[in-house]
Amino acid sequence: MQIYLPIAEIPVNIFLILALGLLTGFLAGMFGIGGGFLATPFLIFIGIPSPVAVSTSTNQIISASISGLLAHFKKGNVDIKMGLFLVLGGIIGSSIGVSIFSLLKNAGQIDLVIAITYVLFLGSISLMMLSDSFKNFIDKKFGMDWHHRNDEAVKFQWLLKKIENLPFKTYFSRSEIYISVLVPITLSFGIGILVSLMGVGGGFLMIPAMLYILRMPSNLVVGTSLFQIVFIASNATFLQAITGNNVDLVLGVLMILSSAIGAQFGSRAAYKVDANATRTFLAVLLLMICFKMMFQLFSQPSNIYSLDILK
Amino acid sequence: MKFLKIFYTFCLLILSCETYAGPLISGISANEINVDTEFKGAQILLFGAKNDAGNVVITVRGPRKNFIISKKENLLGVWFNGERIKFKNSYGFYSLFSTYNDGEMIQQELNEYELGKNNIQFEIQDNLSPTKINEFRVQLIDLLEQKKLYSASTKPIDFLDETLFKLIIDFPKNILLGTYVIEIYLINNGSVLSFQSIPVYVNQVGVSAKISNFASTQSVLYGLIAVFLAIFVGFTTNYFFARFIKK
Repeated sequence: MQIYLPIAEIPVNIFLILALGLLTGFLAGMFGIGGGFLATPFLIFIGIPSPVAVSTSTNQIISASISGLLAHFKKGNVDIKMGLFLVLGGIIGSSIGVSIFSLLKNAGQIDLVIAITYVLFLGSISLMMLSDSFKNFIDKKFGMDWHHRNDEAVKFQWLLKKIENLPFKTYFSRSEIYISVLVPITLSFGIGILVSLMGVGGGFLMIPAMLYILRMPSNLVVGTSLFQIVFIASNATFLQAITGNNVDLVLGVLMILSSAIGAQFGSRAAYKVDANATRTFLAVLLLMICFKMMFQLFSQPSNIYSLDILK
Repeated sequence: MKFLKIFYTFCLLILSCETYAGPLISGISANEINVDTEFKGAQILLFGAKNDAGNVVITVRGPRKNFIISKKENLLGVWFNGERIKFKNSYGFYSLFSTYNDGEMIQQELNEYELGKNNIQFEIQDNLSPTKINEFRVQLIDLLEQKKLYSASTKPIDFLDETLFKLIIDFPKNILLGTYVIEIYLINNGSVLSFQSIPVYVNQVGVSAKISNFASTQSVLYGLIAVFLAIFVGFTTNYFFARFIKK
């Protein structure tokens, strides 16, 4: 059954979109990563213009994050004070991100920038995940010790020393840390730009940063990250709608509904499957998307001239 | 029903020709095209009568739009949009019909009256060399022809007898919205004996037209709806799953 998307201005198969939403929601719920990394490229592959794919994916992230956030709220796993400083930086970052987005769109370079950022991030994330899976596999099989985890903290040692000397220090009682407010603001500022450019939640960067740079307790990290994502994604969606008219509500509603349902099943299935095997599967999937996007960047266009009809 | 309507108009037309006997008179089967999500393209029948010697030239021009032509360039294997030229206020549709047989002759006449796709006017902001502009202009016309928005060649006009003619104007499914103008010229010995202009309105109808219209005119409200809808769905799915489907 075909449905016409009013903003993307193309007809799509309604069941294809629903299946896409269910799949990305399921994987997102299962792995705790935002669905954006899967949803945006898939939408681009089926022919949705990339500005619409990115902005509509941002819209979907709001509902996916709320679903998870509520569960963490109930358990008290959100540091609201830290969350609010993250929101402050994130709102500024995502506002600037949307401006950069519309500048690139007007210059005709947005497709290129989206593809390049995806290739870089998908490539590095999937390779890191694959090497993690490999290490875990070797661990189990041969009982070898790669001593990860603590390495990460050592890597950030130099950065942590610099952070110590920053002004505007304040005590975050929920996380029991004493740190300059400039750190979370700067951090989420960067993530905010990425959210607007890629249509992802940014949890894949925010969560390790909260653990190793902010040194928050691990039980508060996911909830607090989701808390700030809801605000950043809302701001980005709103600005994308008013500056570029990039948000497709028909596509958005289909994606939001199906991915919210998919996420619920995904988080339930997460308890029942082999974590390492599914991580490997996701890593391979991300790597395949990365290759497909790379292929599009390098393949010779059928016509070197292209036409845009402005509204 | 539709045929009857056309036939009836046709009869009226012939009658009116007899009465007034103007050099050229014509009419079309519809003044309006409604584009909805199921739109597969449309055809408009144009018919007319010519009561004087000369050639008939008919142009169909679409709404004025701004166009950008980008030329892809390669850097380290990556293809990106290099040079871009913006053509402002050019036509989004162009179709030409004529009774001229001689290709040479028609081009000369067309140039004189600034007709034909090669004589389409546009504005360019940047200071560019004429060769560069021409390179991109040729591509603009070529790409619009590929989209079936411009007709690749001049089409003939069918004559039913000495005076009566008819033709079918094809509007493809990717037609742009706006006002179209059909212009009918009767040209004899280099002078226009008669000229007639008929507008055709292409409108978007249906739910998706309303949504797209709302998104551009009420973008603040549209953005807020997008955000709150997502928040609402997030809350409700969480509620339903927590309540009815156990962990």
